[in-house]
Amino acid sequence: MKVILVDDEKKFATMLAKRLALRGIDIDYVNTGEDAIVKAEMERYDVAILDVKMPGIGGIELERKLKELDPCMKIIFLTGHGSETDFETGSAEAACYLAKPIQIDELMKILHEVTG
Amino acid sequence: MNSTIEFQNNDDLAFFGKVNASISHELKNILAIISEAAGLLQDLTEMATKGQKIEFEMLKTCSQDIVEEIQRGFATIKRMNAFSHSMDDTVKNVNIVDVVDLMVALAKFLSFASKVRLDPLPEAEAVVLTCPFRLQNLIYRALFFAFESAGPDGEIHIAIQPQPNGSAHITFSGFDPGNARSFTSDETKKIAVSIGVDIREATELRGFELIVPENFDAVRQS
Repeated sequence: MKVILVDDEKKFATMLAKRLALRGIDIDYVNTGEDAIVKAEMERYDVAILDVKMPGIGGIELERKLKELDPCMKIIFLTGHGSETDFETGSAEAACYLAKPIQIDELMKILHEVTG
Repeated sequence: MNSTIEFQNNDDLAFFGKVNASISHELKNILAIISEAAGLLQDLTEMATKGQKIEFEMLKTCSQDIVEEIQRGFATIKRMNAFSHSMDDTVKNVNIVDVVDLMVALAKFLSFASKVRLDPLPEAEAVVLTCPFRLQNLIYRALFFAFESAGPDGEIHIAIQPQPNGSAHITFSGFDPGNARSFTSDETKKIAVSIGVDIREATELRGFELIVPENFDAVRQS
C-alpha cells in the first residue's frame, strides 16, 4: 500500500509518517498541496491523507486535483476540529474524516478498509 | 468624563468567536503533535522491549518536540488570556505596540497568514486612550485583509509611528490593496468610527494606514 500524507504542520507529518512506516506502510509525506501534486505526478498512490486547512492549496482543492491525476486514489481527511462545519466543507467522495489528535490504530484500520 | 462602549453588537461577538476559534485550532495542532510524539515514544519503547534496535536520534527528536510544543502551548494560552482580558475595561490607555504585537501573533494562526515584518519599535511611546477590544478588532481585520491580498508566500510590512499630536499611525504595506473596498466595508468603517480611527490609503507604499487618535472620545465628540 502506497500512501502520501500532506500536512503543513511539519512535526506532525514527520512523526505520523514514521509511526505509519513502523507499521509497514510505504509512505511519503510533504507539507504543501503544491508539493503533493508534484509527487503524485511522479508516483502512484493508493491513498492520500490530507489536512483540510493548509496555506495555499487546501485539502479540499487538493483532493480534486489528485483525483484528476488518479480517480482511483482514496482520500482520508484530517481535520483540526472534527466539527460539523469542517465536515461540511469536504467532498462527499472522500473516504473518511479523522479529527486530530488521531488514534493510530483507527487510522490503520481505515487504511486497510479503503484499500480493500 | 469618557464615554463608554457597550459590547453588544454582532461584530464584537463575531470577532471574539473568530479569534477564539483560531486559538483552539492552534491548541489542537499543538496537542496533535504532542500526541504523535508520545505515540512514537511508545512505539519505540515497545520495539526496545522486544529487543529491536531503535534509533537514539529519534528518541531525542521526540522528547525535544514535546518540550518545544509545550512551550508553544504556554505561549498560545498566554496570548489567549491577554485577548480575553482585553474586554475587562471597555476604555483604557493602551500601548499600540502591545496591541499590534498581540494581534499579529493571533492572526498568524490563520491558515492563509503571510509572513509579517514588524518595523523596529518606535522610541517614543504610542499610548492612546481607546477601546482596546475594538482596536484589536480593527487591526485583526487589517491583517486578515492584508494576508488575503499578499497570500501565504507574501510578506506584509507593519510600521507604528507615534505622532507629535499624540496620535499613532499604523501602516500595513507591501501588498496589492487592489480590492481595498472589501477592507473598508461598512462593518469595518462602523468599528473605526466607534473609536475615532481614520483609515487612509497609502498608495505609494502599496497598503493603507490606521490613524489612531490619542483620545478616542475627543474625536467622537468633535
